[in-house]
Amino acid sequence: MVMLWLVIQREFVSNVLTSRFMIGFIVCLLSTAVAVFVQVDDHEKRLVGYNTAVREAETEAREWELYSKIKPKAHRKPNPLSIFNVGTENEGANTVTVELAKPIFEPSFPIWGAPTQKRGSDNPFLTIFLTVDVVFIFKIVLSALAILFAYNTISGEREDGTLKLVLSNSIPRDTIVLGKYLGGMLSLLPIVLVSLIVALLMALSSGITAFDGNDIAHVVLIFGVSLLYVSTWYLLGLLLSVWTKTAATSLILSMFIWVLLTSVHSNVVTFAVEKFPPYQSKPEAMFLQSASDAWNQFGKERDAYLKQRGYENITKSITWEPETTPTGTRSSSWSGGYFLIENYTVNSIGRADTSIFQEILGYQEQLRAEYAGKAEEILNKPAEQRERNVKFADAFSRVSFAEVYHFAVGAIAGTDRQHYNDFIQNARAYKREIVEYLKDKKAFSSRAWFSNDQGPAELTDLPVFEHQRLSLSESFSRASVDILILLAWNIVLFMVAYVSFLRYEMS
Amino acid sequence: MIGQIAKKEIHHNLTTLRFALMIILLPVLFLVNALMYSLGGDGYMAQVNTHNRQETQKTKHIEDAANKSLAELALVGPGEISKSPSRLIFCADGANAQIPRSVTMVSGGSWSRTGQYETEDYEWTPPWTLEYPLQSKARGTMQRIKIDWVFIGMLMSFFAILFTFDAIAGERSRGTLSLIMSNTISRGQVLLGKYLGAFFTLMVPLLIGILMNLLFILLSGNIPFASEDSLRILGMVAVFALHLSIFIFLGLFFSSRVSNPITSLVWLLLTWVCLTFVFPSLLGTFVGNLNPILSVDEVSMQKEAQLGQLRDEFRPHGGASPYNGLGETASKLSKAASVENPEATRLWATYFTREIETKTRFADGQIDSQFQQVQLARDITQISPIATFQYAMEGLANTGIVSYMNFVKQARRYRQTFIDFIKTEDQSDPESLHIYPVREGLSQKPVNPDAVPVFEEQISYRSVLTQVGLLVLFNLLFFIIAQVSFIVSEVK
Repeated sequence: MVMLWLVIQREFVSNVLTSRFMIGFIVCLLSTAVAVFVQVDDHEKRLVGYNTAVREAETEAREWELYSKIKPKAHRKPNPLSIFNVGTENEGANTVTVELAKPIFEPSFPIWGAPTQKRGSDNPFLTIFLTVDVVFIFKIVLSALAILFAYNTISGEREDGTLKLVLSNSIPRDTIVLGKYLGGMLSLLPIVLVSLIVALLMALSSGITAFDGNDIAHVVLIFGVSLLYVSTWYLLGLLLSVWTKTAATSLILSMFIWVLLTSVHSNVVTFAVEKFPPYQSKPEAMFLQSASDAWNQFGKERDAYLKQRGYENITKSITWEPETTPTGTRSSSWSGGYFLIENYTVNSIGRADTSIFQEILGYQEQLRAEYAGKAEEILNKPAEQRERNVKFADAFSRVSFAEVYHFAVGAIAGTDRQHYNDFIQNARAYKREIVEYLKDKKAFSSRAWFSNDQGPAELTDLPVFEHQRLSLSESFSRASVDILILLAWNIVLFMVAYVSFLRYEMS
Repeated sequence: MIGQIAKKEIHHNLTTLRFALMIILLPVLFLVNALMYSLGGDGYMAQVNTHNRQETQKTKHIEDAANKSLAELALVGPGEISKSPSRLIFCADGANAQIPRSVTMVSGGSWSRTGQYETEDYEWTPPWTLEYPLQSKARGTMQRIKIDWVFIGMLMSFFAILFTFDAIAGERSRGTLSLIMSNTISRGQVLLGKYLGAFFTLMVPLLIGILMNLLFILLSGNIPFASEDSLRILGMVAVFALHLSIFIFLGLFFSSRVSNPITSLVWLLLTWVCLTFVFPSLLGTFVGNLNPILSVDEVSMQKEAQLGQLRDEFRPHGGASPYNGLGETASKLSKAASVENPEATRLWATYFTREIETKTRFADGQIDSQFQQVQLARDITQISPIATFQYAMEGLANTGIVSYMNFVKQARRYRQTFIDFIKTEDQSDPESLHIYPVREGLSQKPVNPDAVPVFEEQISYRSVLTQVGLLVLFNLLFFIIAQVSFIVSEVK
């Protein structure tokens, strides 16, 4: 034990006193600080946009008087952890407008009256610059540092001739490997720790981020995964250092692997999947066509029901007593192909008997909501296909443990694609909730569906979209596969390095 | 003597591990690039097809309108104008998926009102304006880094570092530097020899890779090269050479500063990481956010407010009932525009002109401020040679944001040309009222569709000159500091 401590100490001191430690420390710290500064600014903008959108939606909600006119909105709340890992935070839609007759889906081209919008962005062209966040810097810079610390642990000593001296002592070889590994990690630890603490302090002092205990716990988890990641690289460098005869060779080799794993591999894989998607999908226009067919089907079903009731048109079911001009109804329909909204205004409402009309409406509008669900299923197919392609690319990207680290942190921070898709799913669930709410209130067949002459619609207890944040254990279980992969890499690399060193020939 | 040193360097380099690694990676990447861009989805041919389809649509749109009447053409506008795709997109992708490929100059349908009280029935088409639609969803594309020549150039700069980090420091630590110095050769010559050695070791595999790449693309036949492309590609090779040379000088500089090659590599590596990843992206985002602009939502709100004011003033949809007692103003446009009533037509023209003016002011103003932000960010990030290299390649390939800015500029010029054409054509019809832009105020005779001016995109390579100049400047700068630091450095 004393021996182990001695080896650790020696390794630590010899690392910390080198210039690479100082340079690495400063570069890591500076770039982290700048990245946090930029990302805090960005997050603030998102928050302002979010708050404005929520306020506007509230003002709008106060003006709803008819059940048919309500348009509740689901807003994606900016994630404070995006300061550490931006991920999909700036991508995709952040507002979903819930309308009963409109399917919720994400078109990949501009579409009229789209249900999913992106609010509050000021310059879409700035996306041509890559987003750099703390995790990105860790992924690139820390891995390089780990390698620079590890590449000469064995081969360097061998070249200096000190390895013979070390081995001639009574220290067992396993103690040396373990000591060198722990010593190296001990010298990398302050860099990771200080960088993250500085990032956290900067984020906290900016005053716009409200980190709660849950967020801090997430940051601690990110810290743990980052350490695991750095350790993987360190072990890789150690292994190469055992395998190669000279420090120069091990350095060149590990630098090459570094560039391959951090910059080349995942880019090539993702690009290849993008150019040759394994799951081909029909053009999106065809899905729009089938959605439009579904709405035609709706029209037929509705007409059949009307016929059965003995009316050729829904508005014919209203009778006026006494018959005066102007009577009649005005109906406006609004269709973009993929949705069909129909509104009715009854003139001289005070003299109109609308009981049958209301009854028919009750059937028709529920049917409409059902068909909107059917259209949604159809229109969601291209997005599902895209998602499958992305999953495919991600699976292959995981060959590189640099990407595994990225995915793990994304899952923990709650800024990966999964969380984004959850938002869209939650918006759909919210819509179903609204439909249920209206059903419970018998709103579809109420007078307040189309007219406020007998008082406006009662909407005080309308459900509000709840933003869901994951707890630490949920985040952990989402990232668990990736964390396990990292752990497996660590164990394998350590075992191989250990065995290789035990069989190391001193010549 | 320089030749001898260079030769010795090349011989030495050829036998190293890094050379072996480089000549494995380089052809693989060039082949991947050729394969993806010539055979993969959304390739050049697919883009050309889309472009041609849009062009035919546009021609048909113009023909239909022109055959109806000049007035119709004046109101519906020339249609959607799309940017012709670049053949050299495989050289520099330039965030192609994030950048729009067209602008629209088309009217958004027609309005009508039914007369009540003293307003007359009227149906009108609001005149077209130039609009800049966004590339709607970047979510379809997964990643921003594409395997184009720029990416390969970035990796090559990494290899440039690997080849030079020990060029001088290695000799110094081995003790052979003093042997070289004891010869009658000047230090400048030693440095130049080392430089040339590294330069050729890098450039020859690169050229072979480029040739393979081009050959593959040529054989696949999916990108029909034009003769001017060869000049552009030659220009790109030159930009490549300038770019690599900067990093060789940088490597030699650090190598001559320190006694231990590893220290030099640490410095170089971190510099490279900063120049490649951290610096351009972070600085770009940072500078881009320095002077904030209005968000898309705010602009559209302001625009709607002003248009609303305009509508309140003119009330094109008819005035409120004079009997409801709200004291609202009656419609200024209560009379329909017609050939018999030039007064009313002129009023409509005033309304339309102000509407166009408002819409244009907001649309142009917004995109101008966005462009300004991006331009500033790009200008500043050019302190990193890798960013400069990227922009030069994008300029030569005619991709990226600058080519879109040029396109927009030309579209605006075309807007004026088109309006001028309508006005001159209208002058030649004696029956017309010559009131632009109202249907009833313009000539009702058809025009020859072939006489309508056609949008032609001019590609300008002028912006590349700045970047090439910068690259040369970087070369000179790093050459001088490498030279000076080597001359003053200790042999041991």
